[in-house]
Amino acid sequence: MTDPDARRRANERFVEYRRTHDRALRNELIEEHIGLAKGLARRFGGRGEAREDLVQVAMVGLLKAVERFEPERGLAFTTFATPTITGELKRHFRDKAWSVRIPRRTQEHVGEVGRAIQSASQRLGRAPSIAELAVETSLTEEEVIEAMEANQAFTAASIDADPAGEGSPVLRDTLAGLEVGFDDVESRVLVDRLLESLDERDRTIITLRFFGGLTQSEIAEQIGVSQMHVSRLLARSLAKLRAELVAEAG
Amino acid sequence: MSGTAGVRRIRLSIPGVPDFVRLARLAAVDAGSRLGLDYEQIEDLRIGVDELCFAVLPTADAELPPADLELVFTLHPDRLEVEGACAVGSAAAHQSELSRTIVAAVVDEFSLELSEGVHRFRLSKRRDA
Repeated sequence: MTDPDARRRANERFVEYRRTHDRALRNELIEEHIGLAKGLARRFGGRGEAREDLVQVAMVGLLKAVERFEPERGLAFTTFATPTITGELKRHFRDKAWSVRIPRRTQEHVGEVGRAIQSASQRLGRAPSIAELAVETSLTEEEVIEAMEANQAFTAASIDADPAGEGSPVLRDTLAGLEVGFDDVESRVLVDRLLESLDERDRTIITLRFFGGLTQSEIAEQIGVSQMHVSRLLARSLAKLRAELVAEAG
Repeated sequence: MSGTAGVRRIRLSIPGVPDFVRLARLAAVDAGSRLGLDYEQIEDLRIGVDELCFAVLPTADAELPPADLELVFTLHPDRLEVEGACAVGSAAAHQSELSRTIVAAVVDEFSLELSEGVHRFRLSKRRDA
């Protein structure tokens, strides 16, 4: 934005947001700069991570930039936001840890299989088989199976935050129709307590998958991440629930 | 692998500690792929096997050294059955209604027997017609 008037008007809206903390205004400011976040996410492509997962990370950076921007310092928002978003993306790759040692080649296969699931699902109109994924990726079936298992050992903490801070309206509507019900009160109390140990997004995914009957791909579509990432989050949540259960028993 | 008349059986014996459950998941994915399950169904199968394997393992604070977890994957023309058994001595079980609900959502049938001495499970996953 080079026009001084336009920049002044934009800054006024950031000043207003700092004063009011109005959610609608914040969301407008985020919407207006989504292109910046997507563009920066694109620069980090080709490293084995799904594009939509990187966009999610960039959106977290954009949200942080909107929250922290101080227009009175005289910088343009894009000048301030770029290093914030880039920093978030770099942190994502730095934080990305494998809980067991996974060979680099297999790490690359995880990304390839993730992309193949998406493209093959779209083309076939259904979930692909392992054999179809092997053809799609030019990997052996064994390599695809290895990649599926390796995906579980992958953690990416910085995608956890929900950029909108409140979940999508579609998700809220879907969740509203679901009842996590058990006949006896004791079980229900324990289940509620276990589920409360998860953060909102993880709880939502568990509820949609196991109580709402949505597939991983359907959940992925609703929350805007890849199916492989939903798979990771489910595996992590189930491990956490198990640990909570053991702690309860102890 | 063994079996007769279109039925194939895979037997796997792993140490009864969580670190080795990965091998059970890998075998499940392979067996599911041989049955012709799609990617989503295999993900579900893996979750079911994972959950039930952990359910039959002795708790970490059990006093006895961990026994092996014995697994049998039976491939029928239309379904996969997985049976697991672990001698746990007097170790307590850690199973919840939530865990049962999770397994019920991802497999067609299952049973879990947590009697003193041996914990067992059985699950069945069918290929869609």
